[in-house]
Amino acid sequence: MSLRSQLLKGILEGCILSIIYQQPTYGYELSMKLQKFGLSDVSEGSIYPILLRLQKEKLIHGEMKKSEAGPKRKYYQLTDEGHEALADFIYHWDSIKEPVDRIITREGRK
Amino acid sequence: MNAKEIIELNNEKRKELTEENLAYYEDMLLYIRLSSARSEQYTEEVLLELLEHIIQAQEEGRSAVDVFGNNPKEYCQDLIGEIPKETRKRQVRFSTYIILQFLAIIAFVNGVIGFVTYYFFDLGSDLTTFSIGSGIAIVIIDLLILYLFIAIIFRWLRNSAFPKKKQKKWVEFLQIWAFSTLSIGLFILVIYLMPDFGTTISIPTISFAAVGVILYILAKMINKKRNLI
Repeated sequence: MSLRSQLLKGILEGCILSIIYQQPTYGYELSMKLQKFGLSDVSEGSIYPILLRLQKEKLIHGEMKKSEAGPKRKYYQLTDEGHEALADFIYHWDSIKEPVDRIITREGRK
Repeated sequence: MNAKEIIELNNEKRKELTEENLAYYEDMLLYIRLSSARSEQYTEEVLLELLEHIIQAQEEGRSAVDVFGNNPKEYCQDLIGEIPKETRKRQVRFSTYIILQFLAIIAFVNGVIGFVTYYFFDLGSDLTTFSIGSGIAIVIIDLLILYLFIAIIFRWLRNSAFPKKKQKKWVEFLQIWAFSTLSIGLFILVIYLMPDFGTTISIPTISFAAVGVILYILAKMINKKRNLI
């Protein structure tokens, strides 16, 4: 696995939790949202293994519902554990984000 | 929605795919469905999601390759790794269903053929005599052969997804035919080679058909209650 995909794996899970938290979402819409936010390098299909893992860990819950457009779709929403996991992610992300930024702007770009 | 309803919806929806996307998707479908002992519900739900995704991407001018990449086999393996295992309870129920149905057909066919050959062609006898011990041994060994047969066919089908080179239809047919013939031969060989042991009993041949019908109804009841197939 490349460094990029290793880095992305955990972060992607957090992003997916966050998007689902903002609004219950189905697979296709979720991948489009990720792309729109700029994660355009994430291949569209890569969300499905993650969605399965999050379900297995009981962080999200999927339910087949009729959508406005008509077809039945599986909409995901956060469980209580999912809310906790998201809060955890945001906490850890905040504590990493700025130090990493500081380090690489000072040291990494000589 | 249960797995059965999702499968029906999937069959319907698949018709919307272009030829190229359909070929790509059906390989994924085959490969994922035949992965052993994964939760059917989760499997079918994710298969429908993948299908919906391809259909929407297709409408926007992107192909299945654009969505899932050039290595669908590896993608499917990732996906299968995340699908929860089927519960033991359901696995046992499902096996029971298959075994009952299999025994039902064997018993029924045996009973009817024995009855017809005796009453219409005057062959054999209207009584079937067998030893209880060898009878049970035959059933157990033949069930094992059936299990191996199914397991090998599944694996074989699974490996036929994502072919590097498409195999000719008649070669495939010949392979399956040879393998099936071999299995059936093995099946009958067990019956012939089994030595007699245990108490010998004689029962009217036609009663096998009755047993078959009872087993069949039992199997149907298990299926109906649990919605297995």
